Amino acid sequence: MDKKMAQLMEIVGKTNVFDNPQMGKDFSPVSDHVTSIKPRYMVKPKDVNEVQKIVIWANKTHTPLIPLSSGGPHFRGDTSPTVHGAVVVDLSGMKRILKIDRRNRLVCLEPGVTYTTLLPELQKEGLRIAMPILPRSNKSVLTSLLEREPVLSPKYQWNLLEPLRSLEIVWGNGDKIWSGSGVFRGEKEEDWKEGLVPVWGPGPMQLDYYKFVSAAQGCMGIVTWASVKCEVFPESRKLFFIQAQKLDDVIEFTYKLLKFRLGDELFIINNTCLGYIIADKPEEASALKATLPAWAVVLGITGGQILPGEKVEAQESDISDIARQFGLEMVPEIENCSGRELLELLLKPSEEPYWKLRYKGGAQEIFFLTTLDRTPGYVETMHSAADESQYPIGDIGVYIQPVHQGVCCHLEFVLPVDLMSPAESSQGQKLFRDASHRFFNQGAYFSRPYGIWADMVYQKDAKTMMVMQKVKEIFDQNNVMNPGKLCF
Amino acid sequence: MALEDFAAEMDRCSQCSYCKWIPFDHIKSWRYAKNCPSVSYNNFNSYSARGRYAVARSLLKGQSGYSDKVRDIVYKCMTCGSCDVSCKVCRFNLEPLDMVRELKFKLVEEGHVLDEHQTIVESLDKEHNTMLQPKTGRGEWAEGLDVPRLFSKEAEIVFHAGCRFSYDRDLWNSVRSAVTILKNAGMDVGIMGEREMCCGGRIYSMGYRNEFVRFAESNIKAWAKAGVRMVVTSCADGYHAFKRLYPRLGFQVQVMHVVELLNHLINEGRLVLRSEIPMSVTYHDPCHLGRQGEPYVPWDGVEKKIKSQIIVYEPKRPRYNGAWGIYDQPREILKKIPGLQLLEMERAREYSWCCGAGGGVREAYPEFSMWTAAERIAEAKATGAEALVTACSWCERNFMDAIIAQRDAMKVYDIVELVQEAI
Amino acid sequence: MTMPKNIYKALEGIVGPENISDDPAVLDSYRYSLAHTAIHLGPFFDTFTPRGSAVLLPGSTEEVQAIVKLCNKYRIKFKASSTFWSAQGYPSEDNTIQLDMRRMDQILEIDEKNMFAVIEPGVIGATLQAEAMKVGLNTHIPGAGCSCSTLAGATSYFGSGPSNLYGGWHYDNLLGVEWVMPTGEILRTGSLGAGCGWFCGEGPGPSMKGVARGFIGSKGAMGVYTKCAIKLFAWPGPTTLPVEGIVPAYKTSLPDNFKAYTVAFPSWKSWADAVYTIWDTGVGYIAHRQYSMFGRDLKFAMIKILTDPTKTLGDLEEILDDPEVQKITEESKRDFQIVLAGMTKRDIEWQDKALDEILSRTGGWKVEAMNEPEINKWMLLYLIRLGHKNLNLVFGGSYDGCFGLLGSADFGTSHVEEAAEFKKRWEKRGAVVEAGGDCMMGPIGGQGGGGTCLWENFTCFDPYDRDSIEGTLEFFDACTELGLERGWGVGMEKWNSQARGPDGRIAPKEERDRIHLSAPQPDIFRYQHKIRKAFNPNDLGDAYYETLDDS
Repeated sequence: MDKKMAQLMEIVGKTNVFDNPQMGKDFSPVSDHVTSIKPRYMVKPKDVNEVQKIVIWANKTHTPLIPLSSGGPHFRGDTSPTVHGAVVVDLSGMKRILKIDRRNRLVCLEPGVTYTTLLPELQKEGLRIAMPILPRSNKSVLTSLLEREPVLSPKYQWNLLEPLRSLEIVWGNGDKIWSGSGVFRGEKEEDWKEGLVPVWGPGPMQLDYYKFVSAAQGCMGIVTWASVKCEVFPESRKLFFIQAQKLDDVIEFTYKLLKFRLGDELFIINNTCLGYIIADKPEEASALKATLPAWAVVLGITGGQILPGEKVEAQESDISDIARQFGLEMVPEIENCSGRELLELLLKPSEEPYWKLRYKGGAQEIFFLTTLDRTPGYVETMHSAADESQYPIGDIGVYIQPVHQGVCCHLEFVLPVDLMSPAESSQGQKLFRDASHRFFNQGAYFSRPYGIWADMVYQKDAKTMMVMQKVKEIFDQNNVMNPGKLCF
Repeated sequence: MALEDFAAEMDRCSQCSYCKWIPFDHIKSWRYAKNCPSVSYNNFNSYSARGRYAVARSLLKGQSGYSDKVRDIVYKCMTCGSCDVSCKVCRFNLEPLDMVRELKFKLVEEGHVLDEHQTIVESLDKEHNTMLQPKTGRGEWAEGLDVPRLFSKEAEIVFHAGCRFSYDRDLWNSVRSAVTILKNAGMDVGIMGEREMCCGGRIYSMGYRNEFVRFAESNIKAWAKAGVRMVVTSCADGYHAFKRLYPRLGFQVQVMHVVELLNHLINEGRLVLRSEIPMSVTYHDPCHLGRQGEPYVPWDGVEKKIKSQIIVYEPKRPRYNGAWGIYDQPREILKKIPGLQLLEMERAREYSWCCGAGGGVREAYPEFSMWTAAERIAEAKATGAEALVTACSWCERNFMDAIIAQRDAMKVYDIVELVQEAI
Repeated sequence: MTMPKNIYKALEGIVGPENISDDPAVLDSYRYSLAHTAIHLGPFFDTFTPRGSAVLLPGSTEEVQAIVKLCNKYRIKFKASSTFWSAQGYPSEDNTIQLDMRRMDQILEIDEKNMFAVIEPGVIGATLQAEAMKVGLNTHIPGAGCSCSTLAGATSYFGSGPSNLYGGWHYDNLLGVEWVMPTGEILRTGSLGAGCGWFCGEGPGPSMKGVARGFIGSKGAMGVYTKCAIKLFAWPGPTTLPVEGIVPAYKTSLPDNFKAYTVAFPSWKSWADAVYTIWDTGVGYIAHRQYSMFGRDLKFAMIKILTDPTKTLGDLEEILDDPEVQKITEESKRDFQIVLAGMTKRDIEWQDKALDEILSRTGGWKVEAMNEPEINKWMLLYLIRLGHKNLNLVFGGSYDGCFGLLGSADFGTSHVEEAAEFKKRWEKRGAVVEAGGDCMMGPIGGQGGGGTCLWENFTCFDPYDRDSIEGTLEFFDACTELGLERGWGVGMEKWNSQARGPDGRIAPKEERDRIHLSAPQPDIFRYQHKIRKAFNPNDLGDAYYETLDDS
């Protein structure tokens, strides 16, 4: 046993340090964002004190740390070591739901809490959380929020980091702070009763600490718990479709809903992508494409707390009217897909295998932020890039998720590839790179710059990079946190 | 009053900058949201009521002296009173317009005057008008009119033409029409002719308080001698002087602006507007007729506090907030002219934008004055109106000059001209 | 101290001679009376913020950048302000150059579809709202009122106000920002820096907007924000506000999809229950405890004055004697105002019904006197435009807030009565207006969707009266003492006390260190110190950016 391992064992206990030869595989992404190097060890801390000790140790020993909360498969390479000798800090064991407070609609949770474990607990308290689209069953809730993954209900996102609130952060230098109003961490039950609760995200003063760790790919520090704002679990809930042959035909309608904040879950999806979601098997997905509408706005209407039924009824009528104004129709089901069934799927994590992988076993994702009116242009670009790469256009899944109450949207292309086929894998990689560059040149905003996107964005925005490096220097001067990612 | 009497206000001004904007409730666009030409043109805070409170305080405390910049700050105020209206949306114990006037008085009393103003005052002393013209020509505007001249004849009503109307030939049609209409409506109206003297309002707004008092007393005496029962004027500056300032000196004769009287005559059926004027117009509220045209209410009291720290006055102090000026009468007249369409500007009534001619600014800072007028013309044009109508000779002249300078086609009328045309 | 001629000339070369002044009178008009913001350490009677060494009116980002670079070259402190509301907008150290941003006042763009506006510092809430309404949108107007710079509230201060609930506070609404950093370099945050437009302020990757502002902004102590994008939200009303009435009793008649109510409750517990249920249900466009700022005992009488243009403060005592007014005053003791705005007819019907149901479940009621048309229309306009904000100062010319009790609705309501009673006892001493103790104003929803409240207990006094000032400060000290004793923390009355000493200048370092070391997390200020060192190496801002250097 080498010295480092012994030191780590001293911190987290013998059984929580791993030196498994298979680890390298576990941390490789299924797509081609980065080239992964096998980590030296993996450690599983149990609490913040251990995390803090690990980080302090890493600073002393100049050991790179890779924080990891979710289970695999990993897609984007952010948790793949890209330097030698790294130690993966696996936080999946820190999986306590520390508190669910119905009155203030807050949940405090550790990084290892997954959607699978959280959702039923929330429901018991009459709460729910704004969900990303079909997350992996082992996906860490905290990681998803930290990575600014879009959620299905844009209306609750008063800012892009919603519903994330206060955090406990161990910086790369080993310091620990509570951001937002995390100083009120509700350790005493009386505090919760008196309303001393971690309800704020920003600050707490003139710096916005939680923004430094958001979409940071673990490069700044490790978050050991977070408070998250919840929504009321709806007593009444319906899901509808508004279908169209062309994406352009639903844009104005969607804008109208966003403006009036009508509906709850709201996104646009193409037939391919919807097929990937609802199909159990690859061949089903192929068949579904043909019957599903080329484009559909998927819209949930919810009512909770006060007069829920009346609210749902009123919105259903209003949205139907608005749809008609745009020459569209709102329907509870489309061929081969009922709203009720899709809602069932959307309210929980993805079944295994993960929905993006079901069709071909592997998938490339390209996603970025843009405004809704510009999405048809990007879809055209994707098609033309795919055409040139001889990638089947019919396999391109498109998911458009308005965020931040509709100010902009997450546009995602899902490109299934068969990783077992070197030719297809290589074709997929080529398309990924080519399309990414085309989108970038077209004004796509890669706000979560994984892999090659980081080089693209930081080369263009040198000033932001300079500021990031100064901030990094303050919080992680030894660059122990996930080196090699972003611009560090 | 003296500037020192405003020391409390200087500290109580909350430095909120409401004085730079029209009352916020009325803002309809970014373009026409500002109210104070002075700070809008000069930009430094010092050129707002808020800033002038601070400048006055600084002077009183001896923290700054009477520099050229201070003169610029003080005299580049039209005393249009728009700051006063906006301030009083929320305050009951500040009088920014009175303070700014007092600041001007102070500078004049201390001898920090502008040459351009001094020239006018010196000429006024000799010629009794602010137009730098011989007094002998004052009555020429009325030549050929069958109207009695006081004192040689008697009349119940004296029509005061004012300096600008008396000497600005382009505007004579308005006053000649006014007198004619009144006479035709059976009013017993006379004029002072070459004996008419400046009301003093213009120099009052430049800061020459003592000179104003001299002229006011002379006019009061002259009208008493003539035995008039009412003073009617087409000049908004004159109206303000007679209605608001003269009563402080004991003047008790009834004062009416010609628009009040014309509207009264129309309502009584003594004046009928029959001829169609197919034109769209917008009406500019002169500052001295609108927000400063509220009647004088005598008050002699002191400040006191209730509820420990609420500042009130014993007895209750009258509140001039611009609400009760002459706004409806001119609009009612225009609406009664057949074929005429009245369109409102975004800034109207008590929150109207100044024409730029007041406070001695036209005389001393012509470029700034013209900019102010041009702003108003742009606003008038934005309504789609063909013509800009007003009820003040100074406004009319400033607009006409700005239109000429801009080579614009906008027409400008005094309201009386349109009434005459519509009869 | 006079600015060296060569520096003045250089600055003049940047902005032009008409946009710079060092005349003492001009400089004195850029000072703020500390008697108006006694939240700082006192006594402040007759004390103003330090005189700047010059005032500049830059007209573009390039000019701002050139000024800041020059300031770095000569190590001159600078402070920018847009609408100069309150002492935070003024320097706290001598020989500071003041930048008045009013010339940069353009609304550069309103993106109707994507619901945001791009603005410069001089744009105020009222003008942005007026322009937004033309395209069916609205902007959140912070509690400082519509007279204040939208950009300043969003980037540099707090940005919270009555429409937080639906419109989001300006922390939420701030998208892309153009920031001339203290070194003169320009950072454009988020999608703006990436050349993709203004729609997103975060990222790429970790969001460096977090350096520009946190829970609160840097109050002009860290460079100059020259442009920003602000998220807007739906305005389901007419394209211009139809305003009627006589100054100052302006009012508006809006279509039936707008409702304005004053609701009141039998206990603070039921008040909180209602607030939580409103948040859970998702009703409300604007919600604020507004008129209690006049004081529990005076609020309805003041509304009677403010809605009748013939009345003045001189009528107050007579109105207070009216038994009907007394009855309504008692009835609205634990109240707040709420505006509902229906995006559709069905929406307003549902919201209206839901509010009734919430009141019924919590034992609350609508204060009927506030539904009287003249008052109701006045209230509606007041809350939408927030153009009468300076009624804060109506009584004696000055006010300041104490306590605050910032946090969840349960936190504030647990202590509001004690704080009110405490103030009431102090009111009797005569230094501040006797208003009934509970003068607590604040949003029903401190952030988008609710979740928090603020209880700013308005304390009104006379800035021209030394006894009033000193008595107020004594009271504020007592508030802090009570807050600490009761575990509420230091209240608003001292929130900025680190930035001003008794002479209006920066508080001594020892005092600032004492304050920051006593904070729950001193490290927060240590990190701010590090950030300041990294981004403001020549230390050209003031102590409004709070730092702790105890190494």
